[in-house]
Amino acid sequence: MIMEHKLEELKKDALQAVKAAKDKLHLEEVANKLLGRKQGELTILLKGLKDLSDEMRKSAGQLANEVKQTIEEAINVKRNTFEAEEMKTRLVEEKIDISVPALPKKTRGHLHPNTIVQRDLEDLFSSMGFTVLDGPELESDYYNFTALNIPETHPARDMQDTFYIKGHANWVMRTHTSPMQVRAMQKYGAPLRVVVLGKCFRNEATDVRHEHTFYQMEGLVVDENITFSHLKGVLEIVAKHLYGDDTQVRLRPKFYPFVEPGVNGEVTCFTCQGKGCRLCKNSGWLEIFGAGLVHPNVLKEGGIDPEKYQGFAFGFGLTRLAMLQYGIDDIRLLESGNLSFLEQF
Amino acid sequence: MLISFSWLRYHVALSDTETPDAVADKLKLSTVEVEGIVRSGQPLDNIVVGKVLSAEKHPEADRLKVCHVDVGNEELDIVCGGSNVAVGMLVVVAKNGAKVKWHGEGDLVELKPTKIRGVVSNGMICGADEVGLINRFPKKEEKEIVDVTSLKLKPGTPLAAIVGSPDAVLEIDNKSLSNRPDLWGHYGIAREVAVLTGRPLKPYVVKSIKKGSGVNLSVSVAEQQLCPRYMAVAMSVTVVPSPTWLQEKLIVIGIRPINNVVDVLNYVMLDTSQPLHAFDARHLPDGAIVVRPAQEGETIVTLDEKQRKLTPDMLVIANKEKPVAIAGVMGGLESAVKNDTTTIVIESANFNATAIRKATTKLGLRTDASARFEKGLDPNVCETALQKAVEMLSAINKTFHVVSEVVDVGKSKRSPQQLEMPINFFEKKLGVAIPPKTTRDILMRLGFGVKEKKGQLLITIPTWRAKDVTRAEDIVEEVVRIYGYSAIPASLPVFPITPPEKNTLQTLERNLLDTLVKEEAFTEVYNYSFVSDKQIERIGDTKDRYLALDNPLSSEKPYLRRCLVLNLLENIVDNSANRVEIKLVEVGKVFRPEEPGMRATNNGDELLPAQDTYLTAVYTNKKDQNPFVKIRQALESLTSVLDAGLIIKPAKEAGIGRHPARNADLIYKGQVVGAIYELHPAASRNFGIDSRVGVLKLNVSKLADQWQPPKAGYTSLPSYPEVRRDIAIVVKKDVTFEQVEKTLKQADPLLVAYELFDVYEGATIGQENKSLALHLTFSHTERTLTSDEVDKAYQKITDNLIKKLVAEVRS
Repeated sequence: MIMEHKLEELKKDALQAVKAAKDKLHLEEVANKLLGRKQGELTILLKGLKDLSDEMRKSAGQLANEVKQTIEEAINVKRNTFEAEEMKTRLVEEKIDISVPALPKKTRGHLHPNTIVQRDLEDLFSSMGFTVLDGPELESDYYNFTALNIPETHPARDMQDTFYIKGHANWVMRTHTSPMQVRAMQKYGAPLRVVVLGKCFRNEATDVRHEHTFYQMEGLVVDENITFSHLKGVLEIVAKHLYGDDTQVRLRPKFYPFVEPGVNGEVTCFTCQGKGCRLCKNSGWLEIFGAGLVHPNVLKEGGIDPEKYQGFAFGFGLTRLAMLQYGIDDIRLLESGNLSFLEQF
Repeated sequence: MLISFSWLRYHVALSDTETPDAVADKLKLSTVEVEGIVRSGQPLDNIVVGKVLSAEKHPEADRLKVCHVDVGNEELDIVCGGSNVAVGMLVVVAKNGAKVKWHGEGDLVELKPTKIRGVVSNGMICGADEVGLINRFPKKEEKEIVDVTSLKLKPGTPLAAIVGSPDAVLEIDNKSLSNRPDLWGHYGIAREVAVLTGRPLKPYVVKSIKKGSGVNLSVSVAEQQLCPRYMAVAMSVTVVPSPTWLQEKLIVIGIRPINNVVDVLNYVMLDTSQPLHAFDARHLPDGAIVVRPAQEGETIVTLDEKQRKLTPDMLVIANKEKPVAIAGVMGGLESAVKNDTTTIVIESANFNATAIRKATTKLGLRTDASARFEKGLDPNVCETALQKAVEMLSAINKTFHVVSEVVDVGKSKRSPQQLEMPINFFEKKLGVAIPPKTTRDILMRLGFGVKEKKGQLLITIPTWRAKDVTRAEDIVEEVVRIYGYSAIPASLPVFPITPPEKNTLQTLERNLLDTLVKEEAFTEVYNYSFVSDKQIERIGDTKDRYLALDNPLSSEKPYLRRCLVLNLLENIVDNSANRVEIKLVEVGKVFRPEEPGMRATNNGDELLPAQDTYLTAVYTNKKDQNPFVKIRQALESLTSVLDAGLIIKPAKEAGIGRHPARNADLIYKGQVVGAIYELHPAASRNFGIDSRVGVLKLNVSKLADQWQPPKAGYTSLPSYPEVRRDIAIVVKKDVTFEQVEKTLKQADPLLVAYELFDVYEGATIGQENKSLALHLTFSHTERTLTSDEVDKAYQKITDNLIKKLVAEVRS
C-alpha cells in the first residue's frame, strides 16, 4: 500500500510540476527529475518494486506503468505546446523583404530587333514549305540588274543608287535581295518556293529615315499555274500574321522591271486600324511591300520556260517592318551598336 | 510633277462629285502615286477692288493712315499701315466678313469691324500675300499693300475676277511615272482620268500650220538614231509678258512666267509632255540647224549661265559654227529668246532616251525637258505639240505669223505596233476571269485597238504607249489596274507537302547566336559592312588586302570588311562610358578577294570574292586582366550546338591584332574554323580601349559544311557506387592542363572521371608555380570498390603526377 500511495503522490506532484513548467528548458528539467534514467524520482521508486511480494508487485507494477504513461503524456503535451509557440515566434521573426530584387543582378543578352522580325518571317515561310536562302551581298552587275530585266540603259537603274566596287566595274553591293530570284531558279529550277532574307545597300545619304544599309525579304513562287490571285493570298497571310486577322491588303500599280504586272502593297495601318493617323500620314494604309508576277524575261534568264511556268515575287523591307513593329523613329539606331537601344529588345 | 485640276477638267468633263480628292484616289489605285493635293486660291467673298479717295494720317499713330475708300456700292473708312498707300490708287479691300491670311501666314481669319488706336476700321486694305496675289504682284518691301491700279478695274469688282477660280494641284511622284512617258503632260493624265471616271476625253484638236516665207530653214541630222525626228518652224513675234490667264496657269503648277514665247512652249510641254525649244533666229545664220554629236573640246554657256564642257557622246543643236543647245537638255544662253527677239525658230524634236539620260548624268544637269526625253517620248507627238504652240502664239497676238516652211526630218509617221494574245491569257495570269467586254472596253478607252478572232485578241498599241507596252503581260497589267486589284479575289496556291530544303548555315547561325545571347548574355549588334583605313591601321592590317567601294558615301569608310572585329571594337569604344563590362556578338558576311566565291554569271568563269558568314563575339571587362577565360567559357557553352568535335589548339599563326601568348585556333573536323584570343594590347591602345578584350570568331559557313547536330549519347548508369576524392597539385606555370589531363588518363583504369575546379597562383606557393585542384571519380563496372583499391589508384595517380610533371601533391 505504501508503494501505491507513494506512486499516487508522485503522480500528483509530477503533474503539478509539469503544469508549472515555464518554458521548454524548465520542462526538460522537470522531465529529467521525474523520469531520468538514473536519478529520476519515478525510476528510483520503481526500483523498490523488486522488494515487494509477487502479488503486490503485480498490482503496484500496473499502477506504476499507468503513472509513468500519464506523466509522459503530460510532458509531451506540454512540450508540443512550447514547440508550437516557438515555431510561431520563429516564423514571425523570419520575415523578409520580398520586394528586394535578387542580387547580384543577372545580366541577359539581347537579339537585334531586325533578327527578331526576320526569324518570325523565316519561320512563317518555312512552315509553308518555303526554302530559306541568303546569297552574296557583293553581287555581279548581271544578277543584280541584267538578269532582272534591267538592262544597262534602263531608267530603272536611276532608281537604284548603287555602290560599285573599285577595280571591278561589274561588281556591285546588291541593291535588293532580288538577285537571288535568278540564282535560285538556276539552281533549283521549277517548281520553286523560296524566301531570301538579307542585307542590301543603296548609295544614299543617311538621316532619320534613310540608310545606305538595310534588310529585305524576298519571296518567289514558280509553278505551272501560279496566278496573281495566289500572290494576293500569300500577301494576305503575311499581313495577317504581322498585324492581326482584321488586316487588309491593298495593291496599287507600281513599276518594277522584273515583274509584270507590278504592284506595291499596303496594309491597314495597325495603330489606327485604318482610320488615319500620324504613322500612316492619315491615309489609313502602310506601304510595306512590292510585288508582282515574275517577268517572262526573268524566268528565261533563270532557265525556266515562261510558256510553261509562271510565278510571283514579293519583297518586304525588313528594316521598315522592324521600325513599325517597335515604333523606332530613327533608322540609324539599328546599325549604331548603341547598347542602350539594343538592350530594349 | 504638278497637275492642275482645272487644267484636267479642260480635257475631261468631270462632274462636281468628281472632286480632286476622288480623282486623286482613283489615280493612286490605278495609275500613279499622288503624294498630296495643294489647293491654291482661297475663298474671295467680300474681297473687292477699291479706290483710295483720301488718306489722312492717323491721329494717334505715325505709321498708320485713315483711308476713305470707294468699294463700288459704298465708301468705307479703313485704317491702313501700307507704306505705299496713296490717293487715287486701286487697292484690294477685304470688307467685313471676308477671310484673309494675316501677313500671308497661318489660317484664314474672318474680318470684323474693329477700332485701331481709337479709330474705327471697316475692313482692310490687303497685301499681295494676304489674298493670294503674290505671284503676280511680288512685294518690294514688307509693309507694302498690293497696287492693282494697272489693271484699270472699276471699284467694287470682285477679286475673284482677277485671280480666277481656286484650283487644286495634284502632286504626282515622278518615280511612279518613270515607265510612262505619256503621263508627263496634262493630256496624258486626263486620258487616265477619263478611263477611271468613265467620262469622255476631249479629242486633242490642233490646226495644221500654214507655211510662211521669209526664213529658209534647213535642218540636217547627223545621226538619225539619236534624233529620230526633228521639226522646226520660224515665226515672227514680239516678246512681251504673257496674258494673265496663261501666267496663272503656269504659276499654279509652280512654273515662273518669263515671256509669251517661253510661256507658250512651257504650256505645250505641260499639256502634251513634248518639250519644245525656241531659238532667236539671229543666232541661226542662213536658217541652218545641225543636229550632231558635240566635238571634243566644245563648250556652251547654257540658259542657267553656266559654262558646260561637251563631249562627243552628247548630242548638240548647232548653227554653222557652234552649238546653240544641248539637245533635249538645255538651250544655250546666247541663242535664247530675248526681249528684242523678232523672229524665233521653234524646235519640236524627239531624242534617243538613253543618250539623253547619259548626257544628263554626265553633265549633272536635269531639266523638265530631259526628264521627259529620257523616258522615251512618242515621235508622233512632235507634230501635235508644234502645231499647238504655233496656234497658241497666233491666238495670243494676231500679228504673229509663220515665216518659214515647217521642216520635218524623219517625219514618217510611226505606225502602231500590234500584238496577238489568247483571250484566256488574262485568266491564266490573274486566276480569275474578267468579262471580255470589260477587257475590251478598258483597252479601247486607254487608246488600244482591239479585234477578236478565234479565241485570240489582236491588239493595236497606241504609239504613245510603244515604250512600256510590248507584250501580252503588259496588256494584262493595263486591264487589271483599271479593273481594280481589289476586285481580284485572294486564293492560295496548292503544293505537294514536300518539306523545304534544309539550310544548315541558317540553323547553325541561329543556334550559335541564341546560345551566346541566352546563355552567355551577349547582345547582338548589326554593323555596316564597311571599314575605314584608320581601323585597318589600328588593328595592324594593310589596306591592299581589302576590296573598296568605287563610290563610297563618304571617304571615311570605303573598305569592305574582312572580319567583324574592326567595327565591334568601335562599338566597345562607343559604349564604354558607363559600362564596366561589354559583351557583343555579330553575325555577318566578310569579303575576301583572294578566296573564290560564287559565280558572277551563270555560264562565265568569273567568280565573286568569297563572302563567308562569320560569328564574332567580343568581351571586355575593366576589372578583368585575362578575358580569355570568359571568352573560352562562351565558346564552351557553344558545345551544346557544336558537339565536342570542336578542338582548341595553340594558334599556328600569329594572326592580325592578336595577343601572341593568348591565342588559340578552333579546329572542327580537321579544319581551322575560327579562333579565340585576347586582342593585342597594341591594338586595344590604338582603338582607345583601356581594358583588355577577348575575341571569339567562328567561320559559320565553313562550320556549316561539316556540321551535324550534336547527338546526346547515353551510357548506362554505374551499377556500383562511385568514389570521389579530391587532389591538389602544385606544378610549374608552364605545365599545361593538357599535360595534366594526359597524365591522369594514363594513370589507372579505375579513374573514370576528373574535373578541374580551381586554379590558384600566388606568392604562398611560389611565383613560378600554380596550383590545380581536381575532383577525381573512381569506379568499377563489376563490383564495389574497396577503400584499399581506391587508395592504391590514388597513390598511382599521385606518383605519376610527381614523376612526369614534377608536381607537388598537397593534401
